Amino acid sequence: MTDLVAQLLARRLLLVTGKGGTGKTSVAAALGRLAADAGVRTLVVELGHAAVLPDLLGAEPSRATRDSPREPLPAGPNLFTLRLIPEDALLEYLELQLRVRLLARGIVGNAGFQRFLAAAPGWRELITLGKLWHMVTREDAHGRPLWPLIVIDAPATGHGLSLLSTPSVIIDTVRLGPLRRNTDLVQALLTDASRTLVLTVSLLEELPVNETLELRARVRELGLGLGPVIANGVEPPLALADPERVLAVVASLDGADAPSPLADPRTVCASARHRLARARMHAGFLARLQRETESEPLVLPWLERGVDGPDGVATLAGCLRRALDQAPGETRA
Amino acid sequence: MRPERWLDCRILVTVGTGGVGKTTVAAALGLAAARAGKSVLVMTIDPARRLADALGTGPLGHEPRAVPEDRLREAGVASGGALSALMLDTKRTFDELVERFAPDPAARERIFGNPIYRNLTDALGGSREYSAMEKLRQMHVEGRYDLIVLDTPPASHALDFLDAPRRLAGFLESQFLKVLLHPAAVVGRASLRLFRTGSELVLKGLERVTGLEFLTSISEFLLAFEEMLGGFSERAHEVSRLLRDPVCGFVLVTGPDLQQARSAESFWQRLQAEGIQLAGLVLNRVHAWPGAGEAPADDAGEAERAAEWLARAIGSRAPELDALGSARALVAATRAQAALARREAGVREGLERALPLVPAAVRAVPLFSEDVHELEALARMAALIFDEPAHA
Repeated sequence: MTDLVAQLLARRLLLVTGKGGTGKTSVAAALGRLAADAGVRTLVVELGHAAVLPDLLGAEPSRATRDSPREPLPAGPNLFTLRLIPEDALLEYLELQLRVRLLARGIVGNAGFQRFLAAAPGWRELITLGKLWHMVTREDAHGRPLWPLIVIDAPATGHGLSLLSTPSVIIDTVRLGPLRRNTDLVQALLTDASRTLVLTVSLLEELPVNETLELRARVRELGLGLGPVIANGVEPPLALADPERVLAVVASLDGADAPSPLADPRTVCASARHRLARARMHAGFLARLQRETESEPLVLPWLERGVDGPDGVATLAGCLRRALDQAPGETRA
Repeated sequence: MRPERWLDCRILVTVGTGGVGKTTVAAALGLAAARAGKSVLVMTIDPARRLADALGTGPLGHEPRAVPEDRLREAGVASGGALSALMLDTKRTFDELVERFAPDPAARERIFGNPIYRNLTDALGGSREYSAMEKLRQMHVEGRYDLIVLDTPPASHALDFLDAPRRLAGFLESQFLKVLLHPAAVVGRASLRLFRTGSELVLKGLERVTGLEFLTSISEFLLAFEEMLGGFSERAHEVSRLLRDPVCGFVLVTGPDLQQARSAESFWQRLQAEGIQLAGLVLNRVHAWPGAGEAPADDAGEAERAAEWLARAIGSRAPELDALGSARALVAATRAQAALARREAGVREGLERALPLVPAAVRAVPLFSEDVHELEALARMAALIFDEPAHA
């Protein structure tokens, strides 16, 4: 295991975030697969109501877990996935705190309370973090962490930042009481870079790169540790020694007797030019990320077949593994 | 609705998941309308600085900023057409509402001074969406523009912004909130038993969990807000009506992969359920087949023959080049492009089947090989949306 892989997997909580559409979910899944393959018992958590990870990781809902959706689904050796729904976590939390299941259910089931919850600020973020804290601190029968590593498919930039900033807002607003005590514990976990890292996924395009840089600045302000930028969907280089020269020659060819549209000189040139232009653009933004984050982004290639199931995730995990093996230096805190 | 008719709307709302290029499409639609001689406002939620740079407006803020005339001329906008842009500021929109509806300066200051208001306006369920709708209503009522294009916040699976006014109204009108505000008033003799099993129990339970102080701050915040609730609810209902009015058209923006197409379909179903008609769909960042006709079906043998032919042709012209290596790389790139174009065409057909729009209302915009953040590129995108021949 290289240093960077070991450092990353020694954390307890890895939060994967970034601009919408950059492939956060695929990267979180791939990270989970990589960790599990490296022998770390890993839980990949998705937030909210879209259940994407079970399909992506190839988790089979067993009868036991289907009846109890709060339980993690196994997705192969060392790998589990869980969908964390704030409403469920709230009920669970109230049960734990009040020690009276009926009372907790009465509260959560109260229609007025539900309308209140639908728009009430901050509680989803807080209960989500509380549940994560709870899972990080849970131990098995031998006193070892039940979940040595939790990877979170965190919400995109805006909501992601709301999630991460909620504890500091509570700490600023509430001085006493159980809410404050619990929030302090959550905040201590989040701001401990030896336990928690935020990984930002970006595409190598203008808007995602801008957003990534702003996101990282805000995460740093909030006092959280930052992992490397993951540059996703990067155009692989076209294997041509002298592309301009080759394309000039191809452009001069007569395609009248080409045996296939795949050999038609104009089509070939257009495809190649498109690839080259995108590769140039990607190289430019990669350089900008290197410059402005003063670190080496992990580069994941664009996968022709996409990432829509366990095979795609395994391929992406392999790419991530290679990127980590090649990356120099420290995981930044 | 054919794209040229989209511009007859007074309001165009671009909707879709994150990262499909909604902001860019919204800007391109705005530019197209300006080229048609209209005065247009584009409202974005994205802090898209380069978009602002491309438009030449300077940093976008809460008030509209005009694109300079010379920039507009360069982008093919004749005199008469005008384009402005603004970036939504949730906090400012809420502040304005408070200023507007606060019964007196003391009440206003109570709200502005409340820590929960200060910290959580952005986090309040749907506050971004609500403020986008409120700003839209405000600009529409002012009537300064022929067309307003609203770029909505990204939503993962639901049209959060359609729900936002209703959710906020449900929250403001909830019984629980009344208890939180006026415990004594609600506890009449008759309702006592009912009440004990309901909201009071909830409050007692929550107090044990959160501590009294937190509940007190929340109820202070809500108390401060209470007098304005009527104004807020009324606005929410107005916006709701405006969105369902025929002057308002929705343009769904999506990408060509299967996941994105699926969320586009669920968006469309939600819009329908809400009684909102879709004006059209923009399939953005499509890999177009650069050759004539349709992209060929995948065939390894054909690819090999193509590479051999191309290698011979290159070799005869430039013997010093690695002809076979180059030809293989080039054909592989072309083959990959063909595979993508075919797969995405399938997704497009699926969308056209699933969404009963006239086919002409679905427009595909190819993935540009550079970023679309220059006015010139926006103009090209606009042309692709509006001038593309109808899809057969």
